[in-house]
Amino acid sequence: MLELAIDGQAAGHPVLGTLHARIAPGDRICLLGSSGIGKTTLLNAIAGLDHGLPATMIRRRPGLRIGYLFQEHRLLPWRTLRQNLALVGATPGRIETLLAQVGLQGCAERLPDQLSLGMARRAALARCLAVEPELLLLDEPFASLDAPRVAELRVLLAGLLDARPEMAMLCVTHDPRDAEALANRRWQLLGTPATLVEVATGGTGAERAAG
Amino acid sequence: MNGTRWAAWLALPLAAALWAAIAGWLATPLLPGPAKVLEVAWQLLASGALGEHLGATLRRVAIAFALAMALGTALGIGMGRSRLLDAFCDPLLVLFLNLPALVTIILLYVWFGLVETAAVLAVVINKVPNVAVTLREGARSLDPRLEQMAAVYRFSHWRRLRHVWLPQLFPFWMAATRGGLALIWKIVLVVELLGRSDGVGFQLHMAFQVFDVAAILAWSLAFIAVVQAIELLLLQPLERRASRWRTAGVAHA
Repeated sequence: MLELAIDGQAAGHPVLGTLHARIAPGDRICLLGSSGIGKTTLLNAIAGLDHGLPATMIRRRPGLRIGYLFQEHRLLPWRTLRQNLALVGATPGRIETLLAQVGLQGCAERLPDQLSLGMARRAALARCLAVEPELLLLDEPFASLDAPRVAELRVLLAGLLDARPEMAMLCVTHDPRDAEALANRRWQLLGTPATLVEVATGGTGAERAAG
Repeated sequence: MNGTRWAAWLALPLAAALWAAIAGWLATPLLPGPAKVLEVAWQLLASGALGEHLGATLRRVAIAFALAMALGTALGIGMGRSRLLDAFCDPLLVLFLNLPALVTIILLYVWFGLVETAAVLAVVINKVPNVAVTLREGARSLDPRLEQMAAVYRFSHWRRLRHVWLPQLFPFWMAATRGGLALIWKIVLVVELLGRSDGVGFQLHMAFQVFDVAAILAWSLAFIAVVQAIELLLLQPLERRASRWRTAGVAHA
């Protein structure tokens, strides 16, 4: 569904170097790397937000639906959760279901600023799922949460992923435990400009399912 | 704050008392007292002249205001989002910002005659640059993180404008509205004084010719009352309504 053929030097890109990889349906990838190396830059590029790279370097299947959980919730602060979800195309019935799935039942009329950090992040996750993504991008989903909340969210995410076997996931993290719990592949960004190395690959999800 | 509130209620009655004292002491028709001015204002109201001419002025203000805000908002957003448009229009903006209102009014009356279109157009031309400059600041400060969000979730232009941009632009728009009304009121009076045969500006002109100071003050009083009414009944409720989401989060924190 997505192929990276990035040659950052050729494109004059300030952060990314050589990155070659594929993402297939069902892939669960953890993206590791030291801070500032370009993990978010790569996620933005995959989401189509980096205009410094030619389109040929990131080949997306046309019409690919992407859900992106940014580091901040990036909900519209002047719209309720219901309105925020409706704006990405969720129907009224689906909004209730999605909010319940992330543990926010009864919060539809709240404004983002009326939520705690963890709740706002789960609301943003519900918005990601509202577009029925084929590829889910998660940027440090566990950052700035206390340990019980992290454990809770990890269980929640694992459940949501299990219920969507075809959905691919790319999750930026620095905690190997996240890789254990959520991923079947591991990408590592190294050096400046950043190059991509695949660590301990277990093949794509589809291949594993076939084998 | 409540401890100093009483002081605000003191200034106006004191000023009125001082005015009445000076007027009583001088006893000249060139400075009538507050009672005389209120009496003239009442007569104007009873004769229907007040409503007619205030109405004419208000109509011009409303039309000029709507046009100036619409054009200025579009221009300001365009300049804030496009460097090319900004570079191209900026010198023109500076030119028009520094062009005296009186010059625009005179030129338009000379070119188009003493007609309503020229009057309203003169006000619009004077106001558009101010609105554009304010809204340009707003458009430049739009949150880039929300822009990325809107791009990922493929918001249409209309959806982005309505749900992402306008709420962020609202404070700038309110500032332009406040400054705009204050400026437009004053320019409309000059426009009426120079070339219309109705409106408050025209009435001031007539009163000036016969040195009718009581009428001048009565018209001014009516004018101030209307401006205040618009502020209290229209602008403040609108602002409260649009900024409700800001105060909602404070209760949680």
